[in-house]
Amino acid sequence: MQIQYKKKRNLLQNLFLSELVQGMWLTLRRLFTKPITLQYPHEQPNVRRGFRGQHALVRDPETHTTRCVGCMKCVMVCPSRCIRIRIQKRPEHGNRRFISAYHIDALRCVYCGYCAEVCPVNAIILTEVFAYSAFDRKSLSYDMPQLLDNWDRYLAEQGEDLAQYVNPTWRPRGLPEGPMPAGKRLPVPDDWKGKGQVVGRLWRQSVQGQNR
Amino acid sequence: MHILILLLYILLLFTVVMLHVAYATYFERKIIGHMQVRMGPMEVGWHGLLQPIADGIKCFFKEDIIPENVDPLGFRLAPVVSLTAMVASLAVLPFAPGWVLADIDIGLLFVFAMSGLAGYGVILAGWASNSKFSFLGGLRSMAQVISYEIALGLSLVGVMLLSGSLNLSTIVEAQGGTFGGMYIFPQFIAFGVFFVAMLAETNRVPFDLPEAEAELVSGYSTEYSGMRYAIFFMAEYVGMLVMSSLGTICFFGGWSGPFAVPYFPALWFVLKVYAFMFVFIWIRATMPRYRYDQLMELGWKWLIPLALANIVLTAVCKALF
Repeated sequence: MQIQYKKKRNLLQNLFLSELVQGMWLTLRRLFTKPITLQYPHEQPNVRRGFRGQHALVRDPETHTTRCVGCMKCVMVCPSRCIRIRIQKRPEHGNRRFISAYHIDALRCVYCGYCAEVCPVNAIILTEVFAYSAFDRKSLSYDMPQLLDNWDRYLAEQGEDLAQYVNPTWRPRGLPEGPMPAGKRLPVPDDWKGKGQVVGRLWRQSVQGQNR
Repeated sequence: MHILILLLYILLLFTVVMLHVAYATYFERKIIGHMQVRMGPMEVGWHGLLQPIADGIKCFFKEDIIPENVDPLGFRLAPVVSLTAMVASLAVLPFAPGWVLADIDIGLLFVFAMSGLAGYGVILAGWASNSKFSFLGGLRSMAQVISYEIALGLSLVGVMLLSGSLNLSTIVEAQGGTFGGMYIFPQFIAFGVFFVAMLAETNRVPFDLPEAEAELVSGYSTEYSGMRYAIFFMAEYVGMLVMSSLGTICFFGGWSGPFAVPYFPALWFVLKVYAFMFVFIWIRATMPRYRYDQLMELGWKWLIPLALANIVLTAVCKALF
């Protein structure tokens, strides 16, 4: 690889401090550009779908409780081990598992989104809600009713229908559809799957640059 | 009666300068913010205009902390020495014709003496704090101030030769009030030396080694907090104002401008000083810090010989023409 260094400065450039002048010119130009600051409490950021924020358990419209089947995949995959699930089996329902407790410690969570990615029934989700601080630890340690409430609030805020709702943490962009469990093969726009996927702004820009 | 009027003038000057100092911090934060594509203070008042007042009130009411192992007298004395020395040099600065507290004939020397004295405050703070960071900061500051004081003094000898006076009002009048008469043109080498030495003298970037955050926490003011820290801060900004004024007076024709302004003859002076301040801030937003040996090398091997050469050149030219 050839490294392109800057040209060596000649005596005149050294004498008149051309490098310093270049630097000063750069900062002077920046003085007249628009600041990128977001005045947070006054302006809200535009949080895009797929941001990993507050946890929620999707409430199934039919059973009015969680969709979780107690497969424990999220518990196994969680790097910070912040999920605890207690399951029961009821003799009258055969081998079916029932969730008697689903617990997430939001203060331990690292917001990697693995739990949502691995969940075969799209039960857990990291919503776009990011402002949910509290004054004590206890209220940031969510149990199942709280998580279901989080979901209700989130869905009402978004004004969306669960039938059409799909979150990138459930079905990460660019994964092939074949090996996914049936529940994850949600209807998504073309740019989410296969070649049409959008990985990010930089990627899109580079593709546009190549076409040109 | 005369003394009372003088006291009133002193009070007026002090208040005005302190307000300028407060708003110089605002000016600096805003400009550096926008140069870094941020916004700077925005919350207190419209576009953060009351921020300096809020900062002042906050610093004033903070707990007065004196660490256990410091030398109490030196620790208390150091900020006062710094600020007093800096503020004292305001007395000889002519802001407009006749707008000067003490029109003494050794004005320039007095400013040098006082800015030299301000260095004592810094080294006293470094010594009295009994902390390695403060101590190193104080030592560096002393070495820096001593070496650059020489260059600063020598660079202005050319101006003294041309105007034939040390009185600052006389220096301004000697420049004739015209654009071509400004000493920046015949004394451009001196101005270059003066400018660099001025940055070093006021401990500003790129010569802010005494308070190099990256290596010395906060240098000589590490152990200070609350009002005492604020006093050091004020001293730094008054120092900037004084040095900017000195540059304006000696090289840019002081209060003279393209046309006379009625009721406020100091307008051109203030504008020029603020242009200087802007350059100070602009440099702070751009330059990295010098290494210590480079700093000394620049001072002793380049600036002092250049200033000496400039004196010889000026003297020869003055003798010949």
